[in-house]
Amino acid sequence: MASHYEAPIRRPLVTGEKSYHDVTVDVARPVEGKANKQWWIVFSIALTAFMWGVGCIIYTIGTGVGVWGLNKTVGWAWDITNFVWWVGIGHAGTLISAVLLLFRQKWRMAINRSAEAMTIFSVIQAGLFPIIHMGRPWLAYWVLPIPNQFGSLWVNFNSPLLWDVFAISTYLSVSLVFWWTGLLPDFAMIRDRAVKPFQKKIYSLLSFGWSGRAKDWQRFEEVSLVLAGLATPLVLSVHTIVSFDFATSVIPGWHTTIFPPYFVAGAIFSGFAMVNTLLIIMRKVCNLEDYITVQHIELMNIVIMITGSIVGVAYITELFIAWYSGVEYEQYAFLNRATGPYAWAYWCMMSCNVFSPQFMWFKRLRTSIMFSFFISIIVNIGMWFERFVIIVTSLHRDYLPSSWTMFSPTFVDIGIFIGTIGFFFVLFLLYARTFPVIAQAEVKTILKSSGQRYKRLRESGESLVGAGSVDAVTADKAKKKSKK
Amino acid sequence: MSTSKTYWKNIADLKSNPELDPNRHNEFVEHIPVDEFLGDKGTLENSQTSRRDFLKYVGFSTAAATLAACEGPVIKSIPYVVQPESIVPGIANYYATSIANGYDFASVLVKTREGRPILINNNKLDQSGVGANARVNASVLDLYDSQRLKAPQISGTPTSWVTFNSEIGQKLNDLTAQLKPIVLLTQTFASPSTTALVNEFLSKFPSAKHLTYDTISQSAALDAFEQRYGKRAMADYDFSKALLIVSIGADFLGDWQGGGFDGGYSKSRMPQNGMMSRHVQFESNMSLTGANADKRIPLKPAQQKQVLAALYAKLKGTSVQTNLSESVLSTVNQTAKSLQKSGSNAVVVTGLDDVDAQALVLEINTLLGSKAFNPNAPLLVRSGSNAAMTELVKEMNSGLIGAVIMAGVNPSYTLPNATEFNDALAKVDLTVSFSLKADETAANVKYLAAAPHYLESWGDVERKAGHFGLIQPAIRPLFDTLQFQDALLAWMGSAVTYYSYLKTYWTENVLNGSEWNQALHDGCFTNETTSTAQEQTLDLSNSVAALASAQDQGMALILYPKIGMGDGQQANNPWLQEFPDPLTRVTWDNYLTMAISDAKELGLFMETDGTDATGGLNGRYAEITVNGKTLKAPVIIQPGQAKGTVGLSFGYGRSAGVKEELQTGVNAYPLYDGFNATQTVTVKAVEGKHEFACVQLHNTLMGRGDIIKETTLEVFNTKSAKEWNAMTMVSLNHVETPVDSPDVDLWDEFDRSIGHHFNLSVDLNACTGCGACVIACHAENNVPVVGKEEIRRSRDMHWLRIDRYYSSEDTFGGDDERKDNISGLSDSLSVFGKMELPSENPQVAFQPIMCQHCNHAPCETVCPVAATSHSKQGQNHMAYNRCVGTRYCANNCPYKVRRFNWFLYNNNDQFDYHMNDDLGRMVINPDVTVRSRGVMEKCSMCIQMTQKTILDAKRDGRVVKTDEFQTACSSACNNGALVFGDINEKTNQIVAKKNDERAYYLLDHIGTKPNVMYQVKVRNTKEV
Repeated sequence: MASHYEAPIRRPLVTGEKSYHDVTVDVARPVEGKANKQWWIVFSIALTAFMWGVGCIIYTIGTGVGVWGLNKTVGWAWDITNFVWWVGIGHAGTLISAVLLLFRQKWRMAINRSAEAMTIFSVIQAGLFPIIHMGRPWLAYWVLPIPNQFGSLWVNFNSPLLWDVFAISTYLSVSLVFWWTGLLPDFAMIRDRAVKPFQKKIYSLLSFGWSGRAKDWQRFEEVSLVLAGLATPLVLSVHTIVSFDFATSVIPGWHTTIFPPYFVAGAIFSGFAMVNTLLIIMRKVCNLEDYITVQHIELMNIVIMITGSIVGVAYITELFIAWYSGVEYEQYAFLNRATGPYAWAYWCMMSCNVFSPQFMWFKRLRTSIMFSFFISIIVNIGMWFERFVIIVTSLHRDYLPSSWTMFSPTFVDIGIFIGTIGFFFVLFLLYARTFPVIAQAEVKTILKSSGQRYKRLRESGESLVGAGSVDAVTADKAKKKSKK
Repeated sequence: MSTSKTYWKNIADLKSNPELDPNRHNEFVEHIPVDEFLGDKGTLENSQTSRRDFLKYVGFSTAAATLAACEGPVIKSIPYVVQPESIVPGIANYYATSIANGYDFASVLVKTREGRPILINNNKLDQSGVGANARVNASVLDLYDSQRLKAPQISGTPTSWVTFNSEIGQKLNDLTAQLKPIVLLTQTFASPSTTALVNEFLSKFPSAKHLTYDTISQSAALDAFEQRYGKRAMADYDFSKALLIVSIGADFLGDWQGGGFDGGYSKSRMPQNGMMSRHVQFESNMSLTGANADKRIPLKPAQQKQVLAALYAKLKGTSVQTNLSESVLSTVNQTAKSLQKSGSNAVVVTGLDDVDAQALVLEINTLLGSKAFNPNAPLLVRSGSNAAMTELVKEMNSGLIGAVIMAGVNPSYTLPNATEFNDALAKVDLTVSFSLKADETAANVKYLAAAPHYLESWGDVERKAGHFGLIQPAIRPLFDTLQFQDALLAWMGSAVTYYSYLKTYWTENVLNGSEWNQALHDGCFTNETTSTAQEQTLDLSNSVAALASAQDQGMALILYPKIGMGDGQQANNPWLQEFPDPLTRVTWDNYLTMAISDAKELGLFMETDGTDATGGLNGRYAEITVNGKTLKAPVIIQPGQAKGTVGLSFGYGRSAGVKEELQTGVNAYPLYDGFNATQTVTVKAVEGKHEFACVQLHNTLMGRGDIIKETTLEVFNTKSAKEWNAMTMVSLNHVETPVDSPDVDLWDEFDRSIGHHFNLSVDLNACTGCGACVIACHAENNVPVVGKEEIRRSRDMHWLRIDRYYSSEDTFGGDDERKDNISGLSDSLSVFGKMELPSENPQVAFQPIMCQHCNHAPCETVCPVAATSHSKQGQNHMAYNRCVGTRYCANNCPYKVRRFNWFLYNNNDQFDYHMNDDLGRMVINPDVTVRSRGVMEKCSMCIQMTQKTILDAKRDGRVVKTDEFQTACSSACNNGALVFGDINEKTNQIVAKKNDERAYYLLDHIGTKPNVMYQVKVRNTKEV
């Protein structure tokens, strides 16, 4: 992707007079530098939460799933809610890195690395739940179609839960490969800059011997494109399959054909919100404001607004169809959602997911960093409640009123959820200190077309030759100073 | 003796050999070069065993020794030294016997495996038709109760029977010499041989007398019958012969007059030839009987008396002054008219503890010439007298009594004046109690006799005049026990055992020439003499006047036995503790039942349905006072409870001989003043919140009439089934198509007409909700008991449950109508909210729900590991050892019948019930897996039983007999409500059920195609 000409009307994607070397230094800085106090504080909190979660998981596996708040009527609650929530969050990463790559959206370059890291880390959290929610998690491998000596026993290919196994594992592996491929030149960059032998050794291992030859770059481009092509259907398929867990059932409130698009939209919605949450912090902490600009945040806010509205339409469609179907069980399920004992959860979901993103119609609000951060948190809360509402309120009052009951989480339910948040942040914080958090090789490719400095030079008719060198930039800066 | 003997080992030893002599004490004849070897470094280095080898050997032997020291759990299984002829491992033996514990009397068939009784069945040979109720079904577990007495005790110290009996024999002789009265205080045995034996005892010890004591007294009924017919018994009723049943406070589907009337009742409730009985119930508490009635009028006890008086007057054509309200009076008049019209097809019963009322009912039934009423072969299962018991305590208190020998009674717990009794007992010289456990009375007696369980005893019973039953042991006594009758014989100095006494007695007095062995095999014997009871003509005008002028002072308390707990002697039975009450569906508790309006008035009503976030039911506490005695009990709102009355059940609040976890509820006996179940009470709200363990938190049907389809007899008789049991239609391309049509089927149907195909039919008319099937299922399928906390968290494990619904309007039909007439969103919001609340006097419906064994089961498709799958025979299988526990199947089950093992429920100190000790585990059915934690379980349609039937037929080289296939629930059902069988064999009863116009499938619109069907409930709403 050579430096194409870009219209001056387009705002620069890389601000702050960056030279190629500046990009390298900026990206390598967190990796080469020492962690500051804040990092350690946040890391300790995350680690504590993670350890608490591990404790709760050990307690669950040691004693029985009975330590959760589930019962005979509500067989899934926080476990699958958390599962769907984390899978949903994962979607933004793939969408940004794969779909936007195919659509040649260059603004993705600043955020795709972290978004995809978020994908992988959140899919790891998601993957935990289907395993630990089992009554006998030590037999979890039975859901894999592996040749066995149990007789002629094989998995049940009719079961959406089995499709989940395939969907999630495919998703995790493709995302991981895609992410790592992108990381290779950046790891190589760190390797080449490393002075400590140990560090050099590690990064040369991680970079798979990247040499920077033209052939390397050519293959890199090809593989990226192929993987983007593979990952794109996954954006749609994974959450579609997750939604099948519910859609193929016979429970009113679950048995809904609208679920696949509704779930995918919701996933992208929550994923972008999480990207916003993470990157707004990260750009500040790692001094990456020049790469992750307000423009990036604004674009993501627009996606949040659109997907939020799609989700809103889905909610209303569900209500309409319940009424229109004339099926009394369906009607009651939705009436009960909105007015029953869990109405608070429903309205929490409605206000967080449907009403709150509508503020993004206002440019002032969607370009406000604090407000974006606030909304991103709200959306994540709302999307958690969406899954809770779908799962718990449908189950707790289904066909036979004699089985109707309530669900209330125990400290273990809560502990495991907090634990996964802790685990997620442990991974993300480690990532932020050891990985190149911005795809610097890719950003460098757009520096000439979308970098602020080059744009300015091009507009003023100056030559771009050698403009990116360290000397030129230093000279330029000196010139500016003297002008002042 | 001389010690010159020399011992030699071999010839060389004997004959001295100079060559061998020096080596004689050398173990190794040849020199072993130990020192040379160890001293020479060179050889050591060259030797085969290197240092490393040595370490290897040391390591290996250490590891081996360590491993050998680790012992796996040793499960001792001791083979028979001599194989008993009749016991084949894996094959069950059956013995007919009877239970007669003073409260429950039934003829039963005991299933034993490898010598262990594991299940109680109905004895189908017993024609008198009394089936095993829930408590009798559960009684097998009492045999394996870890709290049982293991040996006789004198003053708390275990002793031998020889010492025990000789001491007592000595004392009895001394007392007789002193002419001090000896009292035998026993349960009602209804045992002819025991009566004869006791009489012999009385003649041997002339100062002795025998007193029977029924914990829940039927003295009024007995007195009335005695006055009229000269015999201390109770009239028998065969409700199958009645077309109009009027009950005034009689819970005859419960334990009224010994119980056992439900089989006949259910027969009359199934519409046949356009006829079924009509049942009118006047009562205060919502009883199981009232719940089954066609018309139920909640009244205070005094009003019930007035109703009876008015009814009698009306029948007689006279008039009587009562202060009943207009509406009640018109019902009474209407009922009287119907009674007159029905004549001999009608029957009136009452449960009022009032001799007048009981006498009046006998008169009314005689007047009607009721076919259902039988005074000729009366019931003998109760015989206690209130007056005699009161007198005894007085005598004991005055120090007149020399000895009190108790058997099968626990007066320290059950007497209203138990403290007085205990004090009086201290004044008695000789106190003996025969008991299964160290119960409340045991603490107050010197001689505590360990009694055997009825499954370890001999005996006989005459439940009803002329109808005999035998009690035979099904297992050798587990502990050092001796039954009361044997002890009596021992004390009398007799050498015969009770067994030979019994056999002789039967040969001489009962069998009438028939074979003893046959009678023992059958477990029952009928020798009915067709004598007509001699009737006394009594003047009842005083009775009528007394009844008509009955008044209630303030609030009335009606004490009642709960279906699951009876009189409380089985309180240490975890099955029964966890048995949901058919009406309140509360487990592990008793409580004050109260009308909602009273509760609100007294400040005892809890807002927000009284539930908390986990859904658990909560209640407030009330302090109730009867004659100065005060009790604190939790309050439950009981729809249908008559205003101004409260109910409280007996049988709870045990304090001795019961595990701590099972010491639940409050003891109502102290309030049972004068053995009258009706008491005047004051109720006051007190602080605190009670946590109930209720398995059903939602009480109404929400207008979902397709779940319990019902109609009236009139419609049933006159209209086509399409109107009252319409086929469910679904839309296929906007064309209404029957749901069973292959066109709307997602799957290809295969031929199910080959081989066996099992179906189960549940007749909602015949089912009274008694719950015998629930316990039978528990016992057959090793269903775990999970305890109060788990039940409260909606984690009951019952494979078979009986849902109970109350109508929100006056009738369920009204509910449906109200729901159908909802228009608009705001209307639906308010109406559905209101429909969650039951009406003050609702209609009640029971619906047994077990796995529906859907041919298109939603659970089967969603299991990722195919742990649940369908059989060719229609059963939905559950492979426990394949289950990984995702619970997806339970979520996707529209009937919510799947139960998850949240914890390890067996062999776990957290769940210290019968499965946690070796004794309790003896009840486990070896044919059914005990489920581990983390797996899903559910009704299997007793596949172990159907397979057994198939294998039996195969072994015998025959086809399976008609109706030979049974499940635990279907064989436990006394009422014919549950019918099981193979639909591919046209002679089976189930085929007729399947083709019955009343048959429908639950939630069939989902397309699940269940193998369980229900029969539409028909109510007889029209006055005769």
